[in-house]
Amino acid sequence: MFGFLLGEALRDLRRAGRVAVSAIVLITLSLAALGAFWLLSSNLAEAVVQFRERVKIVVYLKREPSSGESRALVERVRALPGVAVVRYVGKAEALGTLKQVLGKDAAVADALPQNPLPASLEITPTAEGATLEGARALVMRLGALPETDEVGGGVEWMEQFAHGRRLLWLFGLGVGAVLAAAAILTVTTATTLVLHARRDEMEIMRLVGAPEHVVRLPLLLQGMMQGLLGAMLAIWLLVGCYAILGPRVEPLVRETLGLARLTFLRPHNVAFLMLAGTLLGGVGGILARGRAEP
Amino acid sequence: MIELHRVSKVYSVGPVKVPALSDVSFRVGKGEFVTLCGPSGAGKTTLLRLLYREEIPTEGEIEVLRQDVTALTRSQVAALRRSIGIVFQDAKLLPGRTVYENVAFVLRVLGTPRREITGRVFDALRAVGLSARAQAYPPQLSQGEAQRAALARAVARKPLLLIADEPTGNLDEGMAAEVIEIVRDIWAGGTTVLFATHQATLAAALKQRTLSLQNGRLLKDEG
Repeated sequence: MFGFLLGEALRDLRRAGRVAVSAIVLITLSLAALGAFWLLSSNLAEAVVQFRERVKIVVYLKREPSSGESRALVERVRALPGVAVVRYVGKAEALGTLKQVLGKDAAVADALPQNPLPASLEITPTAEGATLEGARALVMRLGALPETDEVGGGVEWMEQFAHGRRLLWLFGLGVGAVLAAAAILTVTTATTLVLHARRDEMEIMRLVGAPEHVVRLPLLLQGMMQGLLGAMLAIWLLVGCYAILGPRVEPLVRETLGLARLTFLRPHNVAFLMLAGTLLGGVGGILARGRAEP
Repeated sequence: MIELHRVSKVYSVGPVKVPALSDVSFRVGKGEFVTLCGPSGAGKTTLLRLLYREEIPTEGEIEVLRQDVTALTRSQVAALRRSIGIVFQDAKLLPGRTVYENVAFVLRVLGTPRREITGRVFDALRAVGLSARAQAYPPQLSQGEAQRAALARAVARKPLLLIADEPTGNLDEGMAAEVIEIVRDIWAGGTTVLFATHQATLAAALKQRTLSLQNGRLLKDEG
């Protein structure tokens, strides 16, 4: 019976012709837009995670402590909430690092009359300490230490980056929703046309006593098939764009975001898009039925 | 099989009330052949539509196959219709499907197992003398052939009751005779038949019990 109903739905799809094609194209565009924003957003999210792992807060000290004082200071700071790792960097080590950075120009540092670099603490925050609120609280606590001269680094820029990612995701969702609404309307129109075309069939079905689900199911299936087809095309489009554009964009992504490579949508994202397309089509089919039937 | 008790049907067209049937009562027993005769507008089609619950009476009670048709739910209406074969004046064949597909379509939607369908379709087509035209499309059929295809579609399900609403209305005498002969054969097979016609001569020629309707009233029940 299901095979028969599916056959009827296919027959209806052929009947809807160009309107059905328009509906499929619109579903493809809406899901491709949603998928593209999803892809960008998930890669940005990955970049945020990596940045968070690398973020450091530096506490510059007023004076270089003795070795006993520095050990006690490190212990005290390690006990603060939001602190994962603390490393003491003495003046000499700081100068050595500077020389390494300067490379062949390291002689410039040797020419200095005295070491101008302060001793410092390099702090790696915990996951909570790396959020905007956690980092703010941690910076305040560190700033309140009597040994602290200045607190550098921070996560504000990273949170702005995360905020940007959320905005991008919302924008993508908005564009996807507008296109999805247009797709639903088109599927509804396509199904309404089919309904008019298959009025005779439905009348015969009702007159001979076909169960109501048999009368109605082909319409729903027809809408769902349009949706599924649209979703498959959208995924194919995304895969194509990813394969073509990915290698070209990756160097830029590596430089700016620090990601080794762009990752494609995960299987559950793809499954979601397929389901979303099928549901979009189904909703169109149901709306058309409601519009055209008593 | 069928029982109507003081049935009336009034259509409302805006503020205007149009009576289609008034105080109609009769009974049809199992296996009977009953002709429903009356001029156009007498209420024949309304009466038939009440029997398969395409309409609901304004007043009165209707029982078909031991069921109060006015009280049926949607699914019960569908179940009732599965026991009734209906044929119309305009055949109502699906133009995009062959004769075979038209008959098979009904069996498919009613969930008949696939392996039984071909046999049952050809049995029905043989019964109406149309097996040679199984692959023809409705626009390629004569009116008589179209009506026979509609009969095949109605009887392929082996209904207990056949409702024929002016099946010979558009046919010439020869074609009408063929259709009547087929209806008689169906009746001879044990199916109860309710046959509507506006042709009094045809009703008389059928020599069966005849219910005469005029202006929505049952004038005579004879034969």
